Amino acid sequence: MHIRSFTTAARPLLRHVARTVMFLAVALGSTRAGAQDWPDRPLTVADGRVTVGGDVTLTAGTDDPGYFNFTDYGRSALRLVRFDAVTSLRINERVSCLAELRAEGDSREGHWTAGAYAAYVRVKPWTARGFEVQAGRIPTAFGGFTRRSYGSANLLIGYPLAYQYLTSLRADAVPRTADDLVEMRGRGWYVHYPVGAEYWDHGVPATTVFRYDTGVLAKIGFAAARTEIAASLTAGTLSNPGLGDGNGAPQLAVRVAARPWPGVQVGVSGASGAFVEGSVRDVLPDHAAGRQYRQHALGADAEVSHGYWLVRTELVSADWRLPALGTPLLASPLRATSWLAEGRYKLAPGLYAAGRYDRMFFSRIPSTGGSISWDASLWRVEAGGGYSVRRNVMLKASYQYNRRDGGMVPVAHLAAAQLALWF
Amino acid sequence: MVLIKVGVAVALVAAAVRVPATSQREPLCVVRGRVEFARSVPAAEHRPSAVEPGGAVEPDVLNRRRAVVYFEAAPRGAFEDRESARVSLDQRRETFVPHVLAITAGTTVDFPNHDRTYHNVFSLSRAKRFDLGRYAAGASKSVRFDRPGIVRVFCDIHSHMNASILVFGHRFFAVTDDQGRYEIDRVPPGTYLLSAWFEGAVREQRPVAVMADTRAIELDFTVR
Repeated sequence: MHIRSFTTAARPLLRHVARTVMFLAVALGSTRAGAQDWPDRPLTVADGRVTVGGDVTLTAGTDDPGYFNFTDYGRSALRLVRFDAVTSLRINERVSCLAELRAEGDSREGHWTAGAYAAYVRVKPWTARGFEVQAGRIPTAFGGFTRRSYGSANLLIGYPLAYQYLTSLRADAVPRTADDLVEMRGRGWYVHYPVGAEYWDHGVPATTVFRYDTGVLAKIGFAAARTEIAASLTAGTLSNPGLGDGNGAPQLAVRVAARPWPGVQVGVSGASGAFVEGSVRDVLPDHAAGRQYRQHALGADAEVSHGYWLVRTELVSADWRLPALGTPLLASPLRATSWLAEGRYKLAPGLYAAGRYDRMFFSRIPSTGGSISWDASLWRVEAGGGYSVRRNVMLKASYQYNRRDGGMVPVAHLAAAQLALWF
Repeated sequence: MVLIKVGVAVALVAAAVRVPATSQREPLCVVRGRVEFARSVPAAEHRPSAVEPGGAVEPDVLNRRRAVVYFEAAPRGAFEDRESARVSLDQRRETFVPHVLAITAGTTVDFPNHDRTYHNVFSLSRAKRFDLGRYAAGASKSVRFDRPGIVRVFCDIHSHMNASILVFGHRFFAVTDDQGRYEIDRVPPGTYLLSAWFEGAVREQRPVAVMADTRAIELDFTVR
C-alpha cells in the first residue's frame, strides 16, 4: 500500500521538485548577482543605538495532501515564504526596545499576513548582572526549539512535530463527547466541534513557534554555574498564544538551561495555563462553566556538539483538560507526547548533511467503538542538507517521510527546497 | 565591487610602473605614515533577535581600528623572498584578536580558543574555504594560507565574531598600530601605488615615487 501510494505520488512529486529547483535557481541567480552589495551583518545607525537585522526564508515544496506540515489551514511549512525585520533600539545601557515585523505566506496559496511578531521593552536593572525583564509581545520561556525556529537556524526545512503539527484540539470550540473528538482524529488542519465556535478551523499544535505570546518574561543567568533561568507570565498558552487574554487566566512557563561542559547544553521546561477560551465557557452548562480548562506541558532538551558533529534531542509532553459534557465522557486529560532526535554533520566548508526523527503519540480515551488514541499518532523522518553560498545565504533541500495511523492520507513522501538569507 | 576596483588598479599600475631591479648595493627606503579616521569605527554588534537579544558585545574599538596599507604592485624580486611564517589569531571574549591580520602567502595561522565556550572558526572566502569544526578552550587548530586574497573569518556559533586575513604575495604591507601608524621598510626605488584597506574595502589610494636617494617617505591616509 505504501509502495503504491509512493508510485502514485511520484509524478506530481517530481513535477513539484522540478518547479522547486527552478524557483530556487532564479532566486539563487539573483543572489549571486547582487551578492557583493548585500550586508552580512546587522545595520547600525545613530551611533550604534539602532541595530537592524533581517531574515528571509523562501521555501518551495511538494503538495502535502495529508496536511502533515501545515501551520494553519492555508499555509504549509514546506512552502513558507517569510520576511523578518528585527530592530533593536538601545535607549540607554539599561533599557532597550525590540520589534520584529514579519510578513509570511505560502509560496503557492498566498494567505499573506503581516504584523508585529515580537515587540517588547527590555530592561536590565543592573548592567553588570545577567538579569533582565522583557515586557510586551514576547517569546515564551518554554522549549529548546523556540530559539531555532528561523530558517537560518533550523537544520532542516520542516519543523518538529511538537512545535508545528496541528492536533485536533481547538481553544474556541470543544467536543461534547469523546466520540466527537475521535471523529476528528488525524484532521487537525480543519476541525469542527458542537460546542463553541460554529465555523470550521484548524487545530492547535502542542506548542507553536509561529506566534508569540503577550506578557512578561524575566531571565537570570549565573555565569559561574553556566546556568540560565527564564520565567514568563503570558496571556495565552503554548498552543494558543496571542495578543489578548481569551479566558482571564495567565500562563506561567519556566525554563532552566545549563551548559555543564563546553559543547553540552541541557534544558528543562514547564508551563501551565488556561486553554479553553471564555467564549466556550460562556456556553457550557453550569456544572462545567465555573472552572478553567488548562494546558500543562513539560519539556526536556539536550544538545551535544564537537568537531563537525551536532546532535540534539527534545521531549515535549503536553496535556489538555476539556469539559466533560456527555458520554462517553472526556474525563481524563488529553495527552500528546513528542520526541525528536536530530543531527548535523559538516561534510565540507559550507556544506552539511542533517537528519531528524520525530514521533508524536496521543493518550487513549474510551469511545463508543472502544479505547482509542484521541488523535492519530504519527512519526516523521526528514533528511537533507544545506549549502552556504555565502556566510549568510544558505540553500537547503530535504526529503520527508510521514506516517500516521489515521486521517485521510496516512502516508506522505514530501520534498522541499529553501533559500535562507539573514543579516 | 572592491575586488574589481583593486584588480583594475593592479592592472593599471603593473602596466604603467617601471620598477627597477633591486640590488643589495642600492639604498632602500622606508614608507611610513598614519591612517586617520574621519568617521567612527563601527563596533561589533549582536544580530538582533527576539529570542536571544544577547548582551552587549565587549567594546574592542582599538582592535577593530586596524587598517592595512600595502603596495598594489610589488617591486620586481619581491616574490623571491617568501618565507614560511606562523602567526596566531586568538578567540578571546567572543572576539577575534587581532581583528585584522596581514600575512604573506605560505603563512600558517593558529586559531587558539581562549574562551570557556566552544567556537567554530570558518571561512567561505574564495581565497581560502575552511571549517575547523567546534573545539573547546585550550585547543587550537591551524590553517595554511597559500593563495593571495582577502579571507573573511567567522564563528559559526557566535554570529558577531568576525575578522579579516589579508594574504599577500609579497612583503610590502603593514597593519596600523594603536595610533594608526604604519611602516613599510626596505622599499627599492620605483613608482608605486599604495592602498589603505579598512573593513572590507580600499578606502584611499595614493601614488608614491621612491628615488634612488630617498631614505624615507611620509604618506598619510584618511578613512572616510
